[in-house]
Amino acid sequence: MSLITKEEVEKVARLSHIALSENEIEEVMSHLDAVLSYAVRVQDIAKDVDVPVVKNKNIEREDVAVGSHPDTILAQAPEREGDYFVVPVIIEAEPHKL
Amino acid sequence: MYPFITIYELEQKLAKKEITREEILEFYLRRFEAFDEEIGSSLQIFDKESILQASAQGGELFGIPGLIKDNICQDGRVTSCASKMLENFVATYDATAIDRLKKAGALLLGRANMDEFAMGSSTETSAYKKTKNPWDHSRVPGGSSGGSAAAVAAGLVPWALGSDTGGSVSQPAGLCGIVGIKPTYGLVSRYGLVAYGSSVDQIGVMAKTVYDNARVLSVIAGKDSYDASMKLQDKKDYTRELTGKLPEGLRIGVVQNALGAEGVEADVVNAIEVAISVFEKAGASIKRVTMPSLDYAAATYFILSRAEAASNLARFDGVRYGLRDKSAKTLSDMYCNTRHDGFGKEVRARILVGNYVLSAGHAGQFYKNAQKVQRLISYEFQQMFKDVDVLVMPTHPAPAFKFGAFAHNKLQMDLQDYFTCAMNLAGIPSLSLPCGMSQEGLPIGFQIVGPSLSEQLLYQVGHAYQQETSWHTIHPKGY
Repeated sequence: MSLITKEEVEKVARLSHIALSENEIEEVMSHLDAVLSYAVRVQDIAKDVDVPVVKNKNIEREDVAVGSHPDTILAQAPEREGDYFVVPVIIEAEPHKL
Repeated sequence: MYPFITIYELEQKLAKKEITREEILEFYLRRFEAFDEEIGSSLQIFDKESILQASAQGGELFGIPGLIKDNICQDGRVTSCASKMLENFVATYDATAIDRLKKAGALLLGRANMDEFAMGSSTETSAYKKTKNPWDHSRVPGGSSGGSAAAVAAGLVPWALGSDTGGSVSQPAGLCGIVGIKPTYGLVSRYGLVAYGSSVDQIGVMAKTVYDNARVLSVIAGKDSYDASMKLQDKKDYTRELTGKLPEGLRIGVVQNALGAEGVEADVVNAIEVAISVFEKAGASIKRVTMPSLDYAAATYFILSRAEAASNLARFDGVRYGLRDKSAKTLSDMYCNTRHDGFGKEVRARILVGNYVLSAGHAGQFYKNAQKVQRLISYEFQQMFKDVDVLVMPTHPAPAFKFGAFAHNKLQMDLQDYFTCAMNLAGIPSLSLPCGMSQEGLPIGFQIVGPSLSEQLLYQVGHAYQQETSWHTIHPKGY
Protein backbone atom coordinates (compact mmCIF):
# COMPACT_ATOMS: atom_id res chain seq x y z
CA MET A 1 0.00 0.00 0.00
CA SER A 2 1.20 3.46 -0.82
CA LEU A 3 2.13 5.59 2.21
CA ILE A 4 1.36 8.82 0.43
CA THR A 5 -1.62 9.92 -1.63
CA LYS A 6 -1.71 12.23 -4.63
CA GLU A 7 -3.57 14.84 -2.56
CA GLU A 8 -0.81 14.73 0.04
CA VAL A 9 1.85 15.26 -2.62
CA GLU A 10 -0.07 18.25 -3.94
CA LYS A 11 -0.44 19.64 -0.46
CA VAL A 12 3.22 19.25 0.42
CA ALA A 13 4.22 20.81 -2.93
CA ARG A 14 2.04 23.81 -2.08
CA LEU A 15 3.64 24.05 1.37
CA SER A 16 7.07 23.84 -0.27
CA HIS A 17 6.22 26.47 -2.89
CA ILE A 18 7.22 24.13 -5.70
CA ALA A 19 5.10 23.97 -8.85
CA LEU A 20 4.64 20.41 -10.15
CA SER A 21 3.10 19.35 -13.44
CA GLU A 22 0.67 16.44 -13.64
CA ASN A 23 3.43 14.12 -14.98
CA GLU A 24 5.85 15.14 -12.29
CA ILE A 25 3.37 14.39 -9.51
CA GLU A 26 3.34 10.69 -10.42
CA GLU A 27 7.12 10.47 -10.36
CA VAL A 28 7.44 12.42 -7.12
CA MET A 29 4.80 10.19 -5.54
CA SER A 30 6.76 7.02 -6.21
CA HIS A 31 10.00 8.65 -5.04
CA LEU A 32 8.43 9.86 -1.80
CA ASP A 33 6.77 6.52 -1.27
CA ALA A 34 10.06 4.63 -1.59
CA VAL A 35 11.89 6.92 0.84
CA LEU A 36 9.07 7.09 3.38
CA SER A 37 8.38 3.35 3.27
CA TYR A 38 12.01 2.77 4.13
CA ALA A 39 12.28 5.58 6.69
CA VAL A 40 9.18 4.56 8.62
CA ARG A 41 11.22 1.84 10.33
CA VAL A 42 12.48 4.44 12.83
CA GLN A 43 9.21 4.01 14.69
CA ASP A 44 9.99 0.33 15.43
CA ILE A 45 13.07 1.19 17.42
CA ALA A 46 12.11 4.68 18.68
CA LYS A 47 9.49 3.39 21.10
CA ASP A 48 12.18 1.64 23.15
CA VAL A 49 14.65 4.52 23.18
CA ASP A 50 15.38 5.65 26.69
CA VAL A 51 18.22 8.09 26.21
CA PRO A 52 17.77 11.51 27.79
CA VAL A 53 17.93 14.65 25.66
CA VAL A 54 21.27 16.38 26.06
CA LYS A 55 20.67 20.00 26.93
CA ASN A 56 22.99 22.38 25.12
CA LYS A 57 24.14 25.44 27.02
CA ASN A 58 23.99 28.75 25.23
CA ILE A 59 27.26 30.59 25.02
CA GLU A 60 26.49 34.25 24.62
CA ARG A 61 28.64 36.96 23.21
CA GLU A 62 28.40 40.72 22.97
CA ASP A 63 26.20 41.99 20.18
CA VAL A 64 28.64 44.08 18.17
CA ALA A 65 27.49 46.13 15.22
CA VAL A 66 29.58 45.55 12.10
CA GLY A 67 29.46 47.44 8.85
CA SER A 68 27.27 46.09 6.08
CA HIS A 69 27.38 46.65 2.38
CA PRO A 70 23.85 46.86 1.04
CA ASP A 71 25.09 47.55 -2.46
CA THR A 72 26.97 44.27 -2.86
CA ILE A 73 23.94 42.42 -1.51
CA LEU A 74 21.44 44.31 -3.65
CA ALA A 75 23.58 43.80 -6.73
CA GLN A 76 22.49 40.13 -6.66
CA ALA A 77 18.78 40.96 -6.75
CA PRO A 78 16.88 39.66 -9.78
CA GLU A 79 15.01 42.97 -9.74
CA ARG A 80 15.57 46.07 -7.63
CA GLU A 81 14.57 49.67 -7.35
CA GLY A 82 17.01 51.79 -5.36
CA ASP A 83 17.51 49.99 -2.07
CA TYR A 84 14.43 47.81 -2.47
CA PHE A 85 13.90 44.31 -3.80
CA VAL A 86 11.06 44.33 -6.31
CA VAL A 87 8.58 41.43 -6.36
CA PRO A 88 5.42 40.78 -8.38
CA VAL A 89 2.07 41.79 -6.88
CA ILE A 90 1.23 40.01 -3.66
CA ILE A 91 -2.54 40.54 -3.65
CA GLU A 92 -4.39 41.17 -6.86
CA ALA A 93 -6.58 44.21 -6.22
CA GLU A 94 -9.37 45.39 -8.44
CA PRO A 95 -7.81 48.35 -10.27
CA HIS A 96 -10.71 50.84 -9.86
CA LYS A 97 -10.54 50.66 -6.06
CA LEU A 98 -6.90 51.73 -5.95
CA MET B 1 57.43 17.68 -11.67
CA TYR B 2 55.70 14.44 -10.61
CA PRO B 3 51.94 15.12 -10.76
CA PHE B 4 51.13 13.06 -7.69
CA ILE B 5 53.63 14.95 -5.56
CA THR B 6 52.45 15.40 -1.97
CA ILE B 7 52.06 18.66 -0.07
CA TYR B 8 54.94 17.54 2.11
CA GLU B 9 57.22 17.11 -0.92
CA LEU B 10 56.10 20.41 -2.47
CA GLU B 11 57.00 22.18 0.74
CA GLN B 12 60.48 20.69 0.68
CA LYS B 13 60.96 21.93 -2.88
CA LEU B 14 59.71 25.40 -2.00
CA ALA B 15 61.94 25.57 1.08
CA LYS B 16 64.99 24.59 -0.96
CA LYS B 17 64.00 27.17 -3.58
CA GLU B 18 63.93 24.48 -6.25
CA ILE B 19 60.59 25.84 -7.42
CA THR B 20 58.49 29.00 -7.06
CA ARG B 21 54.80 29.23 -6.26
CA GLU B 22 54.20 30.67 -9.74
CA GLU B 23 55.78 27.59 -11.30
CA ILE B 24 53.69 25.29 -9.11
CA LEU B 25 50.53 27.16 -10.08
CA GLU B 26 51.42 27.07 -13.75
CA PHE B 27 52.03 23.31 -13.54
CA TYR B 28 48.63 22.53 -12.03
CA LEU B 29 46.72 24.96 -14.26
CA ARG B 30 48.19 23.08 -17.24
CA ARG B 31 47.08 19.79 -15.75
CA PHE B 32 43.51 21.05 -15.53
CA GLU B 33 43.76 22.17 -19.14
CA ALA B 34 45.11 18.81 -20.24
CA PHE B 35 42.82 16.46 -18.31
CA ASP B 36 39.77 18.18 -16.92
CA GLU B 37 37.81 18.45 -20.11
CA GLU B 38 37.59 14.67 -19.93
CA ILE B 39 37.20 14.20 -16.14
CA GLY B 40 34.97 17.19 -15.42
CA SER B 41 36.07 17.68 -11.82
CA SER B 42 35.80 21.48 -11.92
CA LEU B 43 33.03 23.94 -12.71
CA GLN B 44 35.52 26.76 -13.14
CA ILE B 45 39.27 27.27 -12.99
CA PHE B 46 40.27 30.85 -12.21
CA ASP B 47 42.87 32.90 -14.04
CA LYS B 48 46.43 32.86 -12.78
CA GLU B 49 46.61 36.50 -11.74
CA SER B 50 43.49 36.47 -9.58
CA ILE B 51 44.57 33.24 -7.89
CA LEU B 52 47.91 34.72 -6.91
CA GLN B 53 46.34 37.97 -5.83
CA ALA B 54 43.90 36.28 -3.44
CA SER B 55 46.63 34.37 -1.66
CA ALA B 56 49.02 35.64 1.05
CA GLN B 57 52.77 35.88 0.36
CA GLY B 58 53.60 33.37 3.05
CA GLY B 59 52.05 31.01 5.59
CA GLU B 60 51.47 27.39 6.50
CA LEU B 61 50.26 26.38 3.05
CA PHE B 62 52.23 28.88 1.01
CA GLY B 63 52.15 28.03 -2.69
CA ILE B 64 50.09 24.84 -2.26
CA PRO B 65 47.18 24.61 -4.75
CA GLY B 66 43.73 23.30 -3.84
CA LEU B 67 40.22 23.05 -5.27
CA ILE B 68 37.09 24.18 -3.41
CA LYS B 69 33.69 22.47 -3.49
CA ASP B 70 31.21 24.86 -5.03
CA ASN B 71 29.08 25.23 -1.90
CA ILE B 72 31.81 27.10 0.00
CA CYS B 73 31.86 30.86 -0.61
CA GLN B 74 34.92 32.47 -2.19
CA ASP B 75 34.57 36.25 -2.21
CA GLY B 76 33.85 37.65 -5.66
CA ARG B 77 33.50 34.20 -7.27
CA VAL B 78 30.37 32.40 -8.35
CA THR B 79 29.11 29.87 -5.75
CA SER B 80 26.53 27.81 -7.64
CA CYS B 81 26.17 24.64 -5.53
CA ALA B 82 26.04 23.02 -9.01
CA SER B 83 22.46 24.31 -9.24
CA LYS B 84 20.67 26.40 -11.87
CA MET B 85 19.20 28.26 -8.90
CA LEU B 86 22.55 29.90 -8.16
CA GLU B 87 24.06 29.93 -11.65
CA ASN B 88 25.02 33.60 -11.42
CA PHE B 89 25.27 34.00 -7.68
CA VAL B 90 28.51 35.73 -6.70
CA ALA B 91 29.70 35.24 -3.12
CA THR B 92 29.96 38.53 -1.25
CA TYR B 93 32.41 37.27 1.35
CA ASP B 94 34.91 34.50 2.08
CA ALA B 95 33.84 31.50 4.13
CA THR B 96 35.97 31.27 7.28
CA ALA B 97 37.74 28.18 5.90
CA ILE B 98 38.55 30.09 2.70
CA ASP B 99 39.73 33.16 4.61
CA ARG B 100 42.12 31.00 6.63
CA LEU B 101 43.41 29.19 3.55
CA LYS B 102 44.09 32.45 1.73
CA LYS B 103 45.88 33.89 4.76
CA ALA B 104 47.94 30.68 4.96
CA GLY B 105 49.12 31.31 1.40
CA ALA B 106 47.20 28.45 -0.25
CA LEU B 107 46.39 28.86 -3.95
CA LEU B 108 42.67 28.37 -4.58
CA LEU B 109 42.42 27.24 -8.19
CA GLY B 110 38.71 26.98 -8.76
CA ARG B 111 35.30 25.52 -7.98
CA ALA B 112 34.71 21.77 -7.80
CA ASN B 113 31.69 20.03 -9.29
CA MET B 114 29.28 18.37 -6.86
CA ASP B 115 25.81 16.92 -6.53
CA GLU B 116 23.32 19.79 -6.63
CA PHE B 117 23.20 21.37 -3.16
CA ALA B 118 25.30 18.40 -1.98
CA MET B 119 22.37 16.01 -2.41
CA GLY B 120 23.54 12.74 -3.92
CA SER B 121 26.17 10.01 -3.83
CA SER B 122 27.49 10.13 -7.39
CA THR B 123 27.77 13.80 -8.48
CA GLU B 124 25.19 12.90 -11.14
CA THR B 125 22.69 15.45 -9.83
CA SER B 126 24.96 18.39 -10.77
CA ALA B 127 23.02 20.71 -13.07
CA TYR B 128 26.15 21.32 -15.13
CA LYS B 129 28.25 18.26 -15.86
CA LYS B 130 29.19 14.72 -15.04
CA THR B 131 32.41 14.07 -13.18
CA LYS B 132 34.18 10.86 -14.18
CA ASN B 133 36.06 8.61 -11.83
CA PRO B 134 39.74 8.93 -12.85
CA TRP B 135 40.19 5.17 -12.32
CA ASP B 136 37.49 4.27 -14.86
CA HIS B 137 35.71 6.89 -16.93
CA SER B 138 32.53 4.84 -17.17
CA ARG B 139 32.10 5.11 -13.41
CA VAL B 140 31.09 7.83 -10.95
CA PRO B 141 33.53 9.42 -8.49
CA GLY B 142 30.96 9.18 -5.66
CA GLY B 143 29.38 12.21 -4.11
CA SER B 144 28.41 14.67 -3.21
CA SER B 145 32.02 15.98 -3.15
CA GLY B 146 32.80 14.04 -6.36
CA GLY B 147 34.59 16.87 -8.19
CA SER B 148 36.92 17.45 -5.23
CA ALA B 149 37.72 13.72 -4.98
CA ALA B 150 38.27 13.20 -8.72
CA ALA B 151 40.62 16.21 -8.96
CA VAL B 152 42.81 14.94 -6.14
CA ALA B 153 42.77 11.35 -7.42
CA ALA B 154 43.87 12.44 -10.91
CA GLY B 155 46.69 14.56 -9.51
CA LEU B 156 45.14 17.80 -10.77
CA VAL B 157 45.57 19.31 -7.35
CA PRO B 158 47.21 18.06 -4.11
CA TRP B 159 44.19 18.70 -1.88
CA ALA B 160 40.56 19.83 -2.04
CA LEU B 161 37.78 20.87 0.30
CA GLY B 162 34.51 18.99 0.37
CA SER B 163 31.53 19.05 2.68
CA ASP B 164 29.93 16.11 4.45
CA THR B 165 26.30 15.85 5.56
CA GLY B 166 25.82 12.07 5.38
CA GLY B 167 29.08 10.80 3.90
CA SER B 168 29.79 13.28 1.12
CA VAL B 169 33.52 13.44 1.84
CA SER B 170 34.12 9.89 3.08
CA GLN B 171 32.33 8.01 0.29
CA PRO B 172 33.91 9.82 -2.73
CA ALA B 173 37.31 9.63 -0.99
CA GLY B 174 36.78 5.87 -0.80
CA LEU B 175 35.61 5.48 -4.38
CA CYS B 176 38.53 7.57 -5.71
CA GLY B 177 41.23 5.99 -3.55
CA ILE B 178 42.22 9.07 -1.53
CA VAL B 179 42.16 10.22 2.11
CA GLY B 180 39.12 12.12 3.36
CA ILE B 181 38.27 13.45 6.78
CA LYS B 182 34.78 14.20 8.06
CA PRO B 183 35.68 16.20 11.17
CA THR B 184 33.81 16.38 14.48
CA TYR B 185 30.65 18.47 14.24
CA GLY B 186 31.74 21.93 15.36
CA LEU B 187 35.46 21.61 14.61
CA VAL B 188 35.46 23.55 11.31
CA SER B 189 33.47 26.76 10.96
CA ARG B 190 30.49 26.56 8.60
CA TYR B 191 30.39 30.31 8.07
CA GLY B 192 30.16 30.62 4.30
CA LEU B 193 29.16 26.98 3.68
CA VAL B 194 25.76 26.82 1.97
CA ALA B 195 23.55 25.00 4.49
CA TYR B 196 21.98 21.62 3.78
CA GLY B 197 21.46 19.72 7.06
CA SER B 198 22.60 22.21 9.66
CA SER B 199 22.73 19.78 12.59
CA VAL B 200 25.14 17.51 10.69
CA ASP B 201 26.98 19.54 7.96
CA GLN B 202 30.78 19.77 8.23
CA ILE B 203 33.49 20.95 5.85
CA GLY B 204 36.06 18.20 5.27
CA VAL B 205 39.45 17.78 3.61
CA MET B 206 40.53 15.45 0.80
CA ALA B 207 44.17 14.67 -0.01
CA LYS B 208 46.38 11.79 -1.12
CA THR B 209 48.03 11.06 2.21
CA VAL B 210 47.05 11.26 5.86
CA TYR B 211 49.87 13.72 6.50
CA ASP B 212 48.69 16.07 3.74
CA ASN B 213 45.13 15.83 4.96
CA ALA B 214 46.21 16.78 8.49
CA ARG B 215 48.17 19.75 7.10
CA VAL B 216 45.07 21.28 5.54
CA LEU B 217 42.75 20.56 8.48
CA SER B 218 45.27 22.29 10.77
CA VAL B 219 44.71 25.49 8.78
CA ILE B 220 40.90 25.49 8.68
CA ALA B 221 39.94 23.97 12.07
CA GLY B 222 39.36 25.86 15.29
CA LYS B 223 36.92 28.29 16.82
CA ASP B 224 35.29 31.10 14.90
CA SER B 225 32.90 33.66 16.33
CA TYR B 226 30.89 33.62 13.09
CA ASP B 227 29.66 30.04 13.70
CA ALA B 228 27.74 29.70 16.96
CA SER B 229 27.62 25.89 16.76
CA MET B 230 31.36 25.41 17.22
CA LYS B 231 33.18 23.37 19.84
CA LEU B 232 35.52 26.26 20.74
CA GLN B 233 38.67 24.30 19.98
CA ASP B 234 41.90 26.24 19.69
CA LYS B 235 43.93 26.03 16.53
CA LYS B 236 46.17 22.98 16.53
CA ASP B 237 48.86 21.37 14.37
CA TYR B 238 47.47 17.92 13.58
CA THR B 239 50.73 16.79 11.97
CA ARG B 240 52.75 17.14 15.15
CA GLU B 241 52.22 13.69 16.59
CA LEU B 242 52.39 11.76 13.34
CA THR B 243 55.21 9.50 14.44
CA GLY B 244 54.33 6.63 12.13
CA LYS B 245 53.71 4.43 15.17
CA LEU B 246 50.36 3.33 16.58
CA PRO B 247 49.61 4.67 20.06
CA GLU B 248 50.69 2.19 22.75
CA GLY B 249 47.95 -0.35 23.58
CA LEU B 250 45.54 0.87 20.89
CA ARG B 251 42.18 -0.95 21.01
CA ILE B 252 40.37 -1.23 17.69
CA GLY B 253 36.73 -2.28 17.37
CA VAL B 254 35.69 -3.83 14.06
CA VAL B 255 32.01 -3.15 13.38
CA GLN B 256 30.84 -6.59 12.31
CA ASN B 257 27.30 -5.67 11.27
CA ALA B 258 28.71 -3.02 8.90
CA LEU B 259 31.24 -5.44 7.44
CA GLY B 260 28.52 -8.06 7.04
CA ALA B 261 25.80 -5.66 5.85
CA GLU B 262 23.73 -6.45 2.79
CA GLY B 263 25.51 -5.59 -0.45
CA VAL B 264 29.07 -5.44 0.92
CA GLU B 265 31.20 -7.12 -1.73
CA ALA B 266 33.80 -9.78 -0.98
CA ASP B 267 36.64 -7.62 -2.33
CA VAL B 268 35.74 -4.92 0.18
CA VAL B 269 35.56 -7.35 3.11
CA ASN B 270 38.86 -8.95 2.13
CA ALA B 271 40.67 -5.63 1.79
CA ILE B 272 39.45 -4.48 5.20
CA GLU B 273 40.38 -7.79 6.85
CA VAL B 274 43.91 -7.35 5.48
CA ALA B 275 43.98 -3.78 6.88
CA ILE B 276 42.90 -5.14 10.26
CA SER B 277 45.75 -7.64 10.23
CA VAL B 278 48.16 -4.76 9.52
CA PHE B 279 46.95 -3.03 12.69
CA GLU B 280 47.16 -6.26 14.65
CA LYS B 281 50.74 -6.84 13.54
CA ALA B 282 51.58 -3.25 14.53
CA GLY B 283 50.46 -4.03 18.08
CA ALA B 284 46.79 -3.04 18.23
CA SER B 285 44.28 -5.28 19.98
CA ILE B 286 41.27 -6.14 17.83
CA LYS B 287 37.75 -6.65 19.15
CA ARG B 288 34.76 -7.59 16.99
CA VAL B 289 31.75 -5.48 17.96
CA THR B 290 28.19 -4.89 16.75
CA MET B 291 26.23 -1.66 16.74
CA PRO B 292 22.54 -2.54 16.43
CA SER B 293 21.39 1.07 15.97
CA LEU B 294 23.55 1.39 12.85
CA ASP B 295 20.89 -0.52 10.94
CA TYR B 296 18.52 2.41 11.56
CA ALA B 297 21.01 5.19 10.76
CA ALA B 298 20.08 5.62 7.09
CA ALA B 299 16.35 5.87 7.87
CA THR B 300 17.06 8.41 10.61
CA TYR B 301 19.35 10.36 8.34
CA PHE B 302 16.85 10.42 5.48
CA ILE B 303 14.25 12.02 7.75
CA LEU B 304 16.43 14.54 9.58
CA SER B 305 18.50 15.66 6.58
CA ARG B 306 15.45 16.15 4.34
CA ALA B 307 13.62 18.02 7.09
CA GLU B 308 16.53 20.37 7.58
CA ALA B 309 17.03 20.75 3.83
CA ALA B 310 13.37 21.76 3.44
CA SER B 311 13.89 24.56 5.95
CA ASN B 312 17.32 25.64 4.73
CA LEU B 313 16.39 25.73 1.06
CA ALA B 314 13.28 27.82 1.73
CA ARG B 315 15.53 30.86 1.30
CA PHE B 316 15.85 30.26 -2.45
CA ASP B 317 12.74 32.08 -3.52
CA GLY B 318 13.82 34.35 -6.36
CA VAL B 319 13.56 37.53 -4.31
CA ARG B 320 17.03 38.52 -3.10
CA TYR B 321 19.41 36.52 -5.30
CA GLY B 322 19.58 33.63 -7.69
CA LEU B 323 17.16 32.58 -10.38
CA ARG B 324 13.72 34.17 -10.77
CA ASP B 325 10.84 33.22 -13.04
CA LYS B 326 10.25 36.63 -14.59
CA SER B 327 7.04 35.66 -16.37
CA ALA B 328 5.01 35.07 -13.19
CA LYS B 329 2.26 37.59 -12.52
CA THR B 330 1.88 37.02 -8.80
CA LEU B 331 4.34 36.53 -5.96
CA SER B 332 3.07 33.06 -5.21
CA ASP B 333 3.46 31.91 -8.83
CA MET B 334 6.91 33.47 -8.91
CA TYR B 335 7.98 31.44 -5.84
CA CYS B 336 6.51 28.17 -7.13
CA ASN B 337 7.85 28.46 -10.69
CA THR B 338 11.29 29.70 -9.61
CA ARG B 339 11.69 26.78 -7.21
CA HIS B 340 10.47 24.32 -9.82
CA ASP B 341 12.81 25.62 -12.54
CA GLY B 342 15.80 26.40 -10.31
CA PHE B 343 16.02 23.10 -8.43
CA GLY B 344 16.70 19.75 -10.06
CA LYS B 345 14.55 16.67 -9.48
CA GLU B 346 16.56 15.30 -6.57
CA VAL B 347 16.58 18.58 -4.66
CA ARG B 348 12.85 19.06 -5.20
CA ALA B 349 12.14 15.54 -4.00
CA ARG B 350 14.22 16.02 -0.86
CA ILE B 351 12.44 19.27 -0.02
CA LEU B 352 9.09 17.55 -0.47
CA VAL B 353 10.09 14.62 1.74
CA GLY B 354 11.35 17.14 4.31
CA ASN B 355 8.16 19.11 4.46
CA TYR B 356 6.13 15.90 4.56
CA VAL B 357 7.97 14.52 7.60
CA LEU B 358 7.66 17.89 9.33
CA SER B 359 3.99 18.44 8.53
CA ALA B 360 1.23 18.17 11.13
CA GLY B 361 0.06 14.59 11.27
CA HIS B 362 3.36 13.05 10.17
CA ALA B 363 5.98 14.78 12.35
CA GLY B 364 5.31 12.40 15.25
CA GLN B 365 5.71 9.28 13.20
CA PHE B 366 8.78 10.47 11.30
CA TYR B 367 10.63 13.52 12.58
CA LYS B 368 10.21 13.04 16.34
CA ASN B 369 11.01 9.33 16.16
CA ALA B 370 14.10 10.05 14.05
CA GLN B 371 15.33 12.50 16.69
CA LYS B 372 15.01 9.77 19.30
CA VAL B 373 16.95 7.28 17.20
CA GLN B 374 19.63 9.91 16.62
CA ARG B 375 20.09 10.09 20.40
CA LEU B 376 20.30 6.30 20.54
CA ILE B 377 23.00 6.20 17.84
CA SER B 378 25.02 8.84 19.68
CA TYR B 379 24.65 6.94 22.94
CA GLU B 380 25.70 3.64 21.37
CA PHE B 381 28.88 5.22 20.05
CA GLN B 382 29.65 6.72 23.47
CA GLN B 383 29.25 3.32 25.12
CA MET B 384 31.36 1.70 22.43
CA PHE B 385 34.22 4.13 22.99
CA LYS B 386 34.47 2.99 26.62
CA ASP B 387 35.75 -0.37 25.35
CA VAL B 388 37.67 0.58 22.23
CA ASP B 389 39.65 3.65 21.13
CA VAL B 390 38.62 3.65 17.48
CA LEU B 391 36.24 1.72 15.24
CA VAL B 392 36.98 0.33 11.79
CA MET B 393 34.32 -0.17 9.11
CA PRO B 394 33.80 0.03 5.33
CA THR B 395 33.32 3.47 3.75
CA HIS B 396 31.25 2.02 0.91
CA PRO B 397 29.76 -1.42 0.13
CA ALA B 398 31.31 -1.82 -3.33
CA PRO B 399 33.81 -0.02 -5.57
CA ALA B 400 32.68 2.90 -7.78
CA PHE B 401 29.52 2.11 -9.76
CA LYS B 402 28.70 2.94 -13.37
CA PHE B 403 26.84 6.08 -14.44
CA GLY B 404 23.10 5.55 -14.26
CA ALA B 405 23.48 2.32 -12.26
CA PHE B 406 20.79 3.44 -9.82
CA ALA B 407 18.67 5.47 -12.24
CA HIS B 408 15.70 3.19 -11.64
CA ASN B 409 16.26 2.57 -7.97
CA LYS B 410 17.30 5.79 -6.28
CA LEU B 411 16.67 4.33 -2.84
CA GLN B 412 19.44 1.76 -3.34
CA MET B 413 21.92 4.55 -4.05
CA ASP B 414 20.76 6.55 -1.05
CA LEU B 415 21.26 3.46 1.10
CA GLN B 416 25.01 3.82 0.56
CA ASP B 417 24.68 6.40 3.31
CA TYR B 418 24.30 3.43 5.69
CA PHE B 419 28.09 3.27 6.03
CA THR B 420 28.71 6.93 6.71
CA CYS B 421 25.70 8.86 7.98
CA ALA B 422 25.80 7.43 11.53
CA MET B 423 28.95 9.47 12.15
CA ASN B 424 27.19 12.63 10.99
CA LEU B 425 24.22 11.87 13.24
CA ALA B 426 26.54 11.31 16.22
CA GLY B 427 28.73 14.32 15.33
CA ILE B 428 31.91 12.24 15.53
CA PRO B 429 34.91 12.24 13.17
CA SER B 430 35.79 9.67 10.54
CA LEU B 431 38.96 9.28 8.47
CA SER B 432 38.54 7.37 5.22
CA LEU B 433 41.59 5.92 3.52
CA PRO B 434 42.46 3.51 0.72
CA CYS B 435 43.12 -0.12 1.70
CA GLY B 436 43.07 -2.12 -1.50
CA MET B 437 41.95 -2.63 -5.08
CA SER B 438 39.06 -4.64 -6.44
CA GLN B 439 39.60 -7.34 -9.06
CA GLU B 440 38.51 -4.77 -11.64
CA GLY B 441 41.30 -2.44 -10.51
CA LEU B 442 39.13 0.04 -8.61
CA PRO B 443 40.11 1.50 -5.23
CA ILE B 444 38.54 0.31 -1.97
CA GLY B 445 38.38 2.48 1.14
CA PHE B 446 37.77 1.93 4.82
CA GLN B 447 37.22 4.32 7.66
CA ILE B 448 38.61 4.82 11.12
CA VAL B 449 36.03 6.36 13.43
CA GLY B 450 36.72 7.92 16.82
CA PRO B 451 34.95 9.78 19.61
CA SER B 452 34.21 13.51 19.45
CA LEU B 453 37.36 15.58 18.77
CA SER B 454 39.64 12.57 18.27
CA GLU B 455 41.04 13.81 14.92
CA GLN B 456 44.57 13.76 16.31
CA LEU B 457 44.23 10.07 17.18
CA LEU B 458 42.61 9.19 13.83
CA TYR B 459 45.46 10.84 11.94
CA GLN B 460 48.01 9.09 14.11
CA VAL B 461 46.43 5.69 13.42
CA GLY B 462 45.91 6.46 9.71
CA HIS B 463 49.46 7.73 9.25
CA ALA B 464 50.89 4.64 10.98
CA TYR B 465 48.80 2.52 8.59
CA GLN B 466 50.19 4.36 5.57
CA GLN B 467 53.75 3.75 6.77
CA GLU B 468 53.05 0.01 6.64
CA THR B 469 51.11 -0.04 3.36
CA SER B 470 51.42 1.47 -0.11
CA TRP B 471 47.81 1.87 -1.35
CA HIS B 472 48.09 5.66 -1.16
CA THR B 473 51.02 5.58 -3.56
CA ILE B 474 49.09 3.85 -6.36
CA HIS B 475 47.52 6.29 -8.81
CA PRO B 476 45.25 5.93 -11.83
CA LYS B 477 47.07 5.54 -15.13
CA GLY B 478 47.12 8.05 -17.96
CA TYR B 479 47.57 11.24 -15.95
